[in-house]
Amino acid sequence: MPSPNPNKRLAALLANTNLWRASEHHLAAPQQVNSHYPGAPTGFAALDASLPWRGWPANALTEIITPLWGAGELQLVLPLLRDISQQGHSALWVSPPCIPYAPALASAGVDIARMIIVTPQSHQTLWGIERALQSSACAVVLAWPGKLSGKHIRRLQLACVTGQTLGFLFHHRYIRHSNAVLRLRAEADDSALTLTVLKARGSHRHDRVRLPLEPL
Amino acid sequence: MNSRPSQASLALHALHAVPTSKRLIKHDMPARQRSKQETLWYAVWLPQFSASSSESSAHLERQQQIAEALSTLSATVTIASVDSFSFEVASSLNYFGGIDNIRTRLINLLTALLDSWQLPTQIYHAVSPTPAASLLMAKAGCNLLVYRKSNLRAALGRIPLQALPLSKKKKRQFHNSGLSILRDIWRLPSHQLGQRFGRDFLKHLDQCLGHVANPVPTYTSPVQFSSELEWDFSIENKQALLPGIEELVERLCVFLQTRELAATRLCLRFLHAHHEPTLLHLDLRQASRQHAHLMLLLETRLNAIGLHAGSVGMRLEVKHFQAVSLNSAALKGIAATSGTDADDNILPLLEELQARLGNAAVRRIQLRDEHCPELASQDLPFGEAKPTYTVHSDKKTARPFWLLAQPVHLQKSEGRLFYHSSLRLVSGPERIETHWWKKQEVKRDYYIASNRQGMRLWIFHERQGAAEPAKQAWYLHGIFA
Repeated sequence: MPSPNPNKRLAALLANTNLWRASEHHLAAPQQVNSHYPGAPTGFAALDASLPWRGWPANALTEIITPLWGAGELQLVLPLLRDISQQGHSALWVSPPCIPYAPALASAGVDIARMIIVTPQSHQTLWGIERALQSSACAVVLAWPGKLSGKHIRRLQLACVTGQTLGFLFHHRYIRHSNAVLRLRAEADDSALTLTVLKARGSHRHDRVRLPLEPL
Repeated sequence: MNSRPSQASLALHALHAVPTSKRLIKHDMPARQRSKQETLWYAVWLPQFSASSSESSAHLERQQQIAEALSTLSATVTIASVDSFSFEVASSLNYFGGIDNIRTRLINLLTALLDSWQLPTQIYHAVSPTPAASLLMAKAGCNLLVYRKSNLRAALGRIPLQALPLSKKKKRQFHNSGLSILRDIWRLPSHQLGQRFGRDFLKHLDQCLGHVANPVPTYTSPVQFSSELEWDFSIENKQALLPGIEELVERLCVFLQTRELAATRLCLRFLHAHHEPTLLHLDLRQASRQHAHLMLLLETRLNAIGLHAGSVGMRLEVKHFQAVSLNSAALKGIAATSGTDADDNILPLLEELQARLGNAAVRRIQLRDEHCPELASQDLPFGEAKPTYTVHSDKKTARPFWLLAQPVHLQKSEGRLFYHSSLRLVSGPERIETHWWKKQEVKRDYYIASNRQGMRLWIFHERQGAAEPAKQAWYLHGIFA
């Protein structure tokens, strides 16, 4: 029996609407994806467009990997902090590398009364992060955990689901096996912040997004 | 009836020449003819009590112990002064079966207490329808029992004026006027009394006679909770202690619920066989009486501390309470939307973090109206101060998100400033000069610089000591993250 033209078979397959195409999953049916994973807008249109949730994945852990502190990583979460603090929700900062400077946050429109800073001793840091993520009392947890392993990230991701909290981990090292829902690498140059999507659950795209930094 | 003369009445004979018997003299009608509305106040005077230091905490404690003892005889007990007490007995006459039984019980109670403190057992007491008259009679050493208000005037007539709580000057005035007992006062024309001796004196007399209301503060015993568990063996494992703690917290919650209270500070003591007890203090940000919440905090705290040794018992003590305010959920919702404190739901989490990490580990930042950059932001332990909302409206100048606690001295490499890589100035300068009235004057030129890693840095050039160029160094003060 002669086999049909392979291209024809492919075309027939592609014509089938029941076919699930991983690479275009979120682009094909964003409303469907959104109903499963509601996203919180990042405040950057270019970034929203390249993420399957059209924003930060809610109730999930996001890893932001930067070579150095001060590469624009705070600007990335600033619109989110502004939104949640104005809605009356709190954000917890667990062991930040420096104490955040109140005038800068205030002039960016963040309600600093809703920012709570937790500075545990280094051996208590992971406990503090997990406890904060598990609790539904705060909407966002920003954490600078220091040394991490894949096992820790898995635990923290589960804590996010339990507490329905938006968690951000900031660190320097790329960890091979990470269970975080979204992983971004952030690198800055003079005028812009370049974000590389290392992993976004539910999508196979590895976009590179360039966000212009606010001129100073 | 008790016919043995008590020590108290013997001492009374020795000190005062007022004719009294061992028993109270019944001055008027028997009890069954009294009208029901009349009150009856028992007053006790303990002169040896004022001799001891009256302000010390030991004295206050003794006073409280006496008041506690008296409250077994009456529901209304008053500490009238440092050495005198009064309590209402009309309502408990039937219960104890007459005034004589109350007197016997009172003497027994007070003698036991005074003996335990090794004080002489001198007790002066009197009963009348008004607290002021009872106190006056007790202090005058008249061991009297007056049932009816109408007989008070006659009974008080023989009281010497020197026994009244008056100033020395007043007493001398009475003495010089030839007035020695209260009856002498009542013989004078009443409209002149106020002018001659003052309104306060008249009011006191009226209160004694029951013409004027005399509200007295009632003594309420301070609430405290203390409960203990002990066992025969020593427990080393912290997890094994939890059921015991749970039992104690359960008792506490029942205690709190029956009294409509919430605890604000807990103290848990672990007892050891050969060591000092381990203390575990728990301060609550918000008063609580929820079993689960208290248990969670105690467990967290317990995991953070170390026990000296295996414990053979524990005791939970609570001395600080707050009345429970029962806000309805609807009202709370209104409060949250109207922009008042919506911290309530995050407080339990912060309390838990503080319990494990220490109070200083949970912090808040606060704006301050200061020109000097490092003073414009304040970093405080949570709960120490409520953040104030200062609005910086005109500040359009850029400020970094991270401010270094101490400015870092910037090195120069090949004539260029260096931080990870050589720096390039982006904008500036912004001159900040302030605190010239202090020794540590601030005179700086701030610039924004960037390096090849894309970091944007807030650096300043120290202008202090312009005469010596060596001192004019560059510092890194913040990072625009």
